[in-house]
Amino acid sequence: MQDTVTTSALLDPSHSSVSTQDKSSTGGHTSSTSPQLSKPSITPVPAKSRNPHPRANIRRMRRIIAEDPEWSLAIVPLLTELCIQHIIRNFQKNPILKQMLPEHQQKVLNHLSPDLPLAVTANLIDNENYWLRCCMHRWPVCHVAHHGGSWKRMFFERHLENLLKHFIPGTTDPAVILDLLPLCRNYVRRVHVDQFLPPVQLPAQLRPGDQSDSGSEGEMEEPTVDHYQLGDLVAGLSHLEELDLVYDVKDCGMNFEWNLFLFTYRDCLSLAAAIKACHTLKIFKLTRSKVDDDKARIIIRSLLHHPVLEELDLSQNLIGDRGARGAAKLLSHSRLRVLNLANNQVRAPGAQSLAHALAHNTNLISLNLRLNCIEDEGGQALAHALQTNKCLTTLHLGGNELSEPTATLLSQVLAINTTLTSINLSCNHIGLDGGKQLLEGMSDNKTLLEFDLRLSDVAQESEYLIGQALYANREAARQRALNPSHFMSTITANGPENSVG
Amino acid sequence: MNPPGSLEALDPNVDEHLSTQILAPSVHSDNSQERIQARRLRIAARLEARRREALGEYLDGKKESEEDQSKSYKQKEESRLKLAKLLLCGTELVTNIQVAIDIREIHRRVEEEEIKRQRIEKLENEVKTSQDKFNEITSKWEEGKQKRIPQELWEMLNTQQLHCAGLLEDKNKLISELQQELKTKDDQYVKDLKKQSDDICLLLERMEEQVKNVMKTFREELYNIEKAFEVERQELLASNKKKWERALQAHNAKELEYLNNRMKKVEDYEKQLNRQRIWDCEEYNMIKIKLEQDVQILEQQLQQRKAIYQLNQEKLEYNLQVLKKRDEENTVIKSQQKRKINRLQDILNNLRSKYAKQIKQFQEENQSLTSDYKRLVMQFKELQKAMRHFALIDDAKFREIWLMNEEEAKDLIARAFDVDRIIHTHHLGLPWAAPDFWFLNNVGPISQQPQKSATQIVEEMLMRSEEEEAEEATSEPESYLDLPKQISEKTTKRILMLLCDESGFLIESKLLSLLLPLEQNECYLLRLDAIFSALGIESEDDLYKLVNFFLKYRAHRLSSSLQIKPCSQASVEKASMEETSTRSELELAEQTEMEGEKEESLVEGEKEEEEETPPSPWVIHPNDVLKILEAFVMGLKKPRDSRAPLRVQKNVRDNSKDSEYWQALTTVIPSSKQNLWDALYTALEKYQSTLNCKFLPLRCCGYPQNRAGPPKADVLGLA
Repeated sequence: MQDTVTTSALLDPSHSSVSTQDKSSTGGHTSSTSPQLSKPSITPVPAKSRNPHPRANIRRMRRIIAEDPEWSLAIVPLLTELCIQHIIRNFQKNPILKQMLPEHQQKVLNHLSPDLPLAVTANLIDNENYWLRCCMHRWPVCHVAHHGGSWKRMFFERHLENLLKHFIPGTTDPAVILDLLPLCRNYVRRVHVDQFLPPVQLPAQLRPGDQSDSGSEGEMEEPTVDHYQLGDLVAGLSHLEELDLVYDVKDCGMNFEWNLFLFTYRDCLSLAAAIKACHTLKIFKLTRSKVDDDKARIIIRSLLHHPVLEELDLSQNLIGDRGARGAAKLLSHSRLRVLNLANNQVRAPGAQSLAHALAHNTNLISLNLRLNCIEDEGGQALAHALQTNKCLTTLHLGGNELSEPTATLLSQVLAINTTLTSINLSCNHIGLDGGKQLLEGMSDNKTLLEFDLRLSDVAQESEYLIGQALYANREAARQRALNPSHFMSTITANGPENSVG
Repeated sequence: MNPPGSLEALDPNVDEHLSTQILAPSVHSDNSQERIQARRLRIAARLEARRREALGEYLDGKKESEEDQSKSYKQKEESRLKLAKLLLCGTELVTNIQVAIDIREIHRRVEEEEIKRQRIEKLENEVKTSQDKFNEITSKWEEGKQKRIPQELWEMLNTQQLHCAGLLEDKNKLISELQQELKTKDDQYVKDLKKQSDDICLLLERMEEQVKNVMKTFREELYNIEKAFEVERQELLASNKKKWERALQAHNAKELEYLNNRMKKVEDYEKQLNRQRIWDCEEYNMIKIKLEQDVQILEQQLQQRKAIYQLNQEKLEYNLQVLKKRDEENTVIKSQQKRKINRLQDILNNLRSKYAKQIKQFQEENQSLTSDYKRLVMQFKELQKAMRHFALIDDAKFREIWLMNEEEAKDLIARAFDVDRIIHTHHLGLPWAAPDFWFLNNVGPISQQPQKSATQIVEEMLMRSEEEEAEEATSEPESYLDLPKQISEKTTKRILMLLCDESGFLIESKLLSLLLPLEQNECYLLRLDAIFSALGIESEDDLYKLVNFFLKYRAHRLSSSLQIKPCSQASVEKASMEETSTRSELELAEQTEMEGEKEESLVEGEKEEEEETPPSPWVIHPNDVLKILEAFVMGLKKPRDSRAPLRVQKNVRDNSKDSEYWQALTTVIPSSKQNLWDALYTALEKYQSTLNCKFLPLRCCGYPQNRAGPPKADVLGLA
């Protein structure tokens, strides 16, 4: 056999090379590992280039190859491999990705450096894995769930946030942000900024003053303490859905100045114009920013008749009754679903106007008035409104100085209303009788799932019984969710079961 | 999941409740709410127990299987509840901090507000007092300006200085106070910060704890659930394995049994086969011997057959020869026959042509005859028309002649009567009464009276009855020509009243309402009219038939009940009742009879009426009226049909009574009277002769001649 092969090989070298190749590959089988199987077919060029000389040797060395355990074709780097390495190395200058086969693309993406300039990668790479590496590289803690599960989106959102946080008006070049705009406009949906630095004069003078022990207090009367104007940015982001802003300065340490925390009229006006122009905005949050009535009204006026706005959060501000009245107007002129006015200074008149708007509203699902001071007058007005409202599911009235009259009215509401699922009345002065009345109202209610009455002077007994009723409601709701068809039967089966206990 | 499953599943949560419940509502509680709650629970529990009992029968089977299955389910449910509770408690624990901070903040705000208010008050007071003081000082400056004595001025300046110092001191004090407050606030702020950081630490701690706890319990519960599933699976496996093994064993045993059976059977079959084989061999031998014998016999027979065959062959050959000869003969005969047939065919053709000719001829004849017939029929019809015409004319003529003759006769009779009267009154001095005969009143040819309609009769009758009521005894029915003999008027009336009362349904309701205001008799009349029209009673005869029918029916009833009546009558009535056809004939006969008897009834009617006490209608039960009516209507149909030919007959006048009539006219003056007249005549003649005798002497005076003349002439005229 071997003789015939050799003769044929001698006669026809090109052909023989193939045959010997085959032979060697089949022979190599026994000794070499599996990766070699595919390689001869992929790398004919290096094999041919080397073959002419050792061809005879190969044939003679076959026995030796079989005996040499360290011999492997893997030692030879493949051309594709080399090409990919090269592409990766020169990606910044010459980004080639789309033209490659998917497997090669994968390989390239796996080896690209996360430090590449965004101008190259932003619109070219969609691979989540790459952006995951980028994120992991930059930030130790990443909550991708907060960014819609997309690593790319998260990268851009956080990158933008970082830039905005450290933007100093007057010193930082606005182009830094505007340059980023075309790169990130398709990916950013949420802008969350929890600090806006004031203009440069103050910090510039503060920093030297920092060393000279705050000797420059007299010069701080410049009125130009406006922050970064968001108008251009917001207009540029075509998919912006959420805007979460805090006009605040973090880590100011001993450089504390009241001026640092100013949310000026010009800020307010420019912000209002920006959100008015942004028709994709769904959630708008402006918290801890010393927004008073006038500013709140400016912002709310810009939000009137907004096409898609669903959530408005103005908590932890200084909004009083006039601001609340504005919010009430907004309720009847928009599709607002969530309104948060927690920790403001809304008093009874504001609550009354809110209640008036609420009575005929069909959009609002959640209303939060925690830590205001609406007192019984406002509470009663809200309770009256709830008798006609058929939409609100969550109501937070914690810490509002409410007492028994409100509880009486609320108990009536509980008996009628079938939409409310959660009520919070903690930190009020409901009192023992109020608790009893609420318990009475609870006994006729089948929909309420949460009812917070902590620290509201309610008797422990009634609180416990309310808890029992809530538990029954929750069980019923769970049964309903599990099998909607057996809704009635399970209710009937449930009632006695629970009541036995 | 079916409801029982869910019930099972929910059981643990009940247990959970029991274990966790501290304040179970009891019936003996002081709180009325709680008592109500407790009672409600008790009622619900009872209802549930009852429901379960009802369902129990078919749940029992399920429950057992479910208990095994629900172990894991139970575990799952238990874990779920536990975890839910844990989560709830944990979140509460964590949020408790927030709530606590909230309330602290609220308290702080309230306090702050209070303090702020006090501070402002204080400041305002201060401002007021200091203003007063300042005013005092400024007013004193004015005073100082007026002072001339330096000492005094100095003194005043001193006091002024003192005052100013006091004011400044006050202000400074206030400032220091405020600064103190600020400091304390600062301290407080630091404290608050610390507190907040503590709180946050606590919050974090709790959250961490919660996370740890939840994770731990989740793991535990997962482990538990897995264990439960594992146990269940093990159990299931074990039980299945057991089952499998049992089944396998059973299978093996059965297999063995089958094998044994098979072996036995095989042996049996082998034995049987052997037996069969032996038997078959014997049989085979026997059959073989028998068949061989048969073969021998058959061979013998074959020989015989062969012999017969040869014989037959010879015979057949002979026959063939004979037949050949015959065939030849036949051919000869055949040719002869053919010739004959040709001849006969010719004859047939001739006959056919003749036949056709005859048919034509007869058809023509027939046509002419039919045309003749038609013509004759036409003629006949014309003749009939003429006949009718002439009959009418004849009638008229007959009538005229009759009338003429009658008139003449009547004239004569009148004259005779006149004469008679004169004779009676003048000559005999007797009173004269005009004789009264039926034919004297007759005018025109004697014929049937026109038939009155039923209603007319009824009307008459009713009218009459009315009169009767008025003058009961005066007029007796002498002129009731129309009533048939047996039936009294009263009877008829009663029957009709009965009919009227019973068959109100035949009258239209509209009519009834119209009748209400009318008089009783009129009312009856109209009602009867309606009933008759409904029943189809048109003529007098029908009415009498109806009445008769009623009476017969009643009689039949009586006879059937009492059986005293003569059987002949009963049979007639029976026939009339049952067989409508025969009855109709009977009635026809009756009808004609009645017509005939009409005149006789004149004389005899009254007698017979009295003789035959008419069956009283009140014996007829009102309930029977309808039955009778039905039978009657059934019966009435037939005679109607056979009416047409009868009408034709009626046109023929019977002239049997004519001669009688005329004869009667001649005998208007009875023979006794003629005798009288004869006697008178002779007497008068005698009288004349005597007078003549007397006259002769008295011829000279002429007057007695005149006296005697007229009677003579009278007598002569009469003769």
